[in-house]
Formats: sequence, structure tokens, C-alpha cells
Amino acid sequence: MAVKLGYTNVYRDPLGYPEWHARGLPVNSAPAGLADMAPAAQKAGPLNGWAMIWTLLGIFAGGIALNLTPCVYPLIPITVSYFGGKSGSDQGRLYLHCACYIGGLAVTNSILGVTAALTGGLMGAMLQNPVVLSSIAVILILLATSLFGFWELRLPYWLNRAASRSYSGYFGSLFMGITLGLVAAPCIGPFVLGLLTWVAGMGSPWLGFLIFLTLSLGLGLPLFVLAIFTGKLDKLPRSGEWMIWIRKLMGWVLVGMAAYFIRPLLPSAIGIFLMAAVFLAAGLHLGWIDLTTAGFRAFAWLKSSVGIAGVVMAVYLIGSFVIQGPGVKWQAYSDDSLPGAVRSGKPAIIDFSAAWCTPCRELDEITFHDSEVVKQAAREFVMIKVDLTRRGNPAAERLLSKFEVKGVPTVVFLNRKGQERRDLRVVDYLPPDQFLVRMAEIRKGG
Amino acid sequence: MNTLQKTILSSVAICLTIGYLWYGNRTITANKAVWDNVRAEAIKGGYRLISTEKLWQQYEADPATLLLVDTRQEWEYRTGHIQGAINFPIEPTWLSRWRKKGELAAVLGPDRNRLIVFY
Repeated sequence: MAVKLGYTNVYRDPLGYPEWHARGLPVNSAPAGLADMAPAAQKAGPLNGWAMIWTLLGIFAGGIALNLTPCVYPLIPITVSYFGGKSGSDQGRLYLHCACYIGGLAVTNSILGVTAALTGGLMGAMLQNPVVLSSIAVILILLATSLFGFWELRLPYWLNRAASRSYSGYFGSLFMGITLGLVAAPCIGPFVLGLLTWVAGMGSPWLGFLIFLTLSLGLGLPLFVLAIFTGKLDKLPRSGEWMIWIRKLMGWVLVGMAAYFIRPLLPSAIGIFLMAAVFLAAGLHLGWIDLTTAGFRAFAWLKSSVGIAGVVMAVYLIGSFVIQGPGVKWQAYSDDSLPGAVRSGKPAIIDFSAAWCTPCRELDEITFHDSEVVKQAAREFVMIKVDLTRRGNPAAERLLSKFEVKGVPTVVFLNRKGQERRDLRVVDYLPPDQFLVRMAEIRKGG
Repeated sequence: MNTLQKTILSSVAICLTIGYLWYGNRTITANKAVWDNVRAEAIKGGYRLISTEKLWQQYEADPATLLLVDTRQEWEYRTGHIQGAINFPIEPTWLSRWRKKGELAAVLGPDRNRLIVFY
């Protein structure tokens, strides 16, 4: 690699460190402590980096897809011709009207998003409560059944009428945008409500704003494109039965979110099977069982790809679960655990976790299943697990106050004498390579 | 697309997924690097090999002329490394090589003729 970069004097020592060390040549080990450690990935919020970009892209796509629901789609030609009528042949004014409209849409949605996130901040703690999680899941499922067509969500009459009244000028376009959310509520409502519950769960106003802004941009994009190519309006596929399918797709998205919410309440294996089952059912329903057809070819392709994607996701989830190697072997905590560890002369690692906490699960599924971590843990460490899913075990409670554990996950590293190295403590998900650094640290010292 | 086509296509997709999972998770048996393989790799990569004695001679003469790069994981480096070596973890995957290419140039410095030893 270095050769390609233009370096000429490149060598490799294939025997490397072990041989060097065996001959007693000068070696060094990094200074104790984590001060000069490669910067750990900073967690800015619930979403960051690529996860953020993918989420926003997904929501943007969701916004575009919402245009295809039966309440929004018929409005597109009307809206575009309305803009056309107002601005005459002047393209510039047409764009301005469009921009106002999308702006209006963004205002309603962003206010919704921020409100949800602000109130959600208070609810954040509640979201680890099984009762709250189950009720959210139930609401999501109910909304999904509406999208599946078992019942209709309707707005009160006066709200509907106020929303459809027309105003003139640019303000009119803005107002139309603001109210589109209300008119289209029966179709997009369940999806937006589902998204709101989710944003409330994350409790970040900025994220709430961003998510709903993205949704509005997605919702407004087709309109903008159409306004630019007004002449192409008759090329649009006719509204029809296929829109019902789109609604069902949105319904499955909500069912998936419901499964995501109740997953922390279930044992890890069952949670994975539940997610896989949702994907499989969605794939089979949308791709095979549902017989909706449409007059244009793209729909058949879309339908098949969604179906296949669902089935493949299910296989992937089950597959990764089955293929996963052995994990770290833990001993449950008892009063004798810590003295026992000191007697054995090994450093100890205590993992405080609970079934409902997502980072704990991540630690368990990735870090504590990493082959190198598992190997070292079995050979050189005493691994102790304290399960806090149900509180009230007196031995565990004493341990909590002794180490001043504030929440889960908390991983505490004890040296051979049984003293904690406070600077190594882990309180969030940590990838295997970083975890190994800490294991090396505690093994070295004391 | 009719149902038969769809089912065939999805079976293919499922097989691909399973294949991908298997490939990504198969246990790599760390076969003891045979000397011939090491040499072949070196020729392919365009670099030369150095023995521990030669390295030590160079090191003893003047450590400053030498840049030692430890490509193992950070935890391995922390447990012990050749004195003066810098740590630049590269996993033996093309993805990791590709991602770290830019950083490497910065780590190795502007002097293209400096003696660099990786291990």
C-alpha cells in the first residue's frame, strides 16, 4: 500500500513483535491510561453519521411515497393547475408559488415535529417503561389497521372545511401548503402520527425538526418537478387500485415500528424472530398475496422488489442470528463473586445490564460475541453479569451503590486486587476493538 | 412479472443473502504463514522483507533513520510493541485498506525515501 503512495524503501518484518520480544530487544508498552487513545466515536445524539443520513433519506423517500396515497395523489394535478392558473405563463412566479406551498407544508410538519420532540423529552425516561412501550406498539398497530383498510380515520367536519377554503396570492399557496397536511390526514395521518411517536421517543427537538422538514421536502418534491414540467401532467399514471397497495405498504412500516418498540421487552432471540416475522409477512403480503395490479409496468416491478426485499431481510435477520458464534460466558453476581475474583488473581469485568436497554443489547450482540473478546474473557478474566431487568435483589442493590452505578449499561473494570479503574468504565455501546483496549489496560496494571 | 418469476428471483436473492452471511462470518483458520506465501505476497505488493537481525542492526545503528509501523490492532500495540514504533491499525480487508489510504500518507510523512518497516 505504501509502495503505491510512492515510498521507495518499504520493508515488512514478517516475524514482527513476537520474535523481537522473544530476543529481548527493546520494547515498550503504551503509557497507562486512555489519554492518548484514538478518539472514541463521539455519540452526539441518538442518531449520527451515516445512520442519520440513511434515516433522513428513508424519511425523504417516505415523503415522496406519501404522494401516492389516495388522498394526496388526486390533489397533485389540481394543485399544479391551480398554480398554473395563478401565475399565467410566467415560470418564475410558478416556482415561487411552489416554493411557498412547500414552505407551508414544512411549517406545519416542523411544528408538529418539534412539539413532539419537546414533550418527548419529558417522556424519554418513560420510554423505558414496559407499559408505555406496549401502549405505543398498540397505537401503532391500530393506525396500521387503518392503513390496511379495516377502518377510516376522519377529521372533524369544521376542520376539513376550514382547510379547503381558498385564499389568493402567494399567501394562498403558503396556506394551501399549511393545510395540505390536514386535508390529507386520513391517508398520511397514521404514518405521520407513527413518525411523531417515534420522534417523541428520541426527545431531540432539532432532530424532530429535521425529520419533519425532510418529510415535507419529500412530500413536496413531486409537485415541484411537475410544476417545472407542467406539460407532462398527462403522463402521470392514473390514480387507481394501486394506491391501496401503497397504503398497505405504509401500514407495514407502522407494524415494523411497533415491533421495534416492543422488542426490548422480549428475550433477544424472540425479538429477532419477531422482526423477521414482520419482514416476512410484509414481503409475502405486499409481493405475493396482495393481487393489486396497475396499468403501468413500473408498479409490478416495485411490488416484486418490495416483496423480495421483505423476504430477504427476514432471511438476513434469522441467518445472522443462527450464524452468530458463542458469546462470553458470564457468572451471575453473588456476594462471593468479587472476593472469588481476587482469590483467582484475575481482573474482573462487571456488566450491569437490563433486557430493555438497547445499548446493552448491542454490547451483548456485537462486543461480547467478538471472537477475540470471548477468547480473552475466558482465559484471563472473571466475567460477572448483574441483571437489573427486575430490581430488588439486595446483593445487586448493594453493588449498585458501592460502584455508584447510575444506569445501564455500565461496565466496570476491576484490577487483580479488586479495585476499580474508574477511567476505563463504559456507559454506552463500545465496539469490540475499543473494548479490547480496555481489557489490555486492566490486565497490564496491578 | 408473474408469480413464478418472482419466486425464482426471490430464491436467488435468499441464496445470495445466505452466501454473504456465510462468507462474512466464516471462521478464518489462521494458517501459519508459510514462508513462500509471505515472499509471494511481498513480490505482489512490491515491498521487501527484512529479518529480525537486519532490523535490529539498523535499529541499533540509528533508530532515527527508521520508521516502524505497527499495523496490529490498538489493544495489541498497547500490550507491547517495538520501542519507537507507531500504531496504524489496518485490518487485513480491502475495505480497511481502501479507507485508510489517505491517512497513511499523512502518517508516513513527506520523505518518500525514508526506510519504513511494517510489521
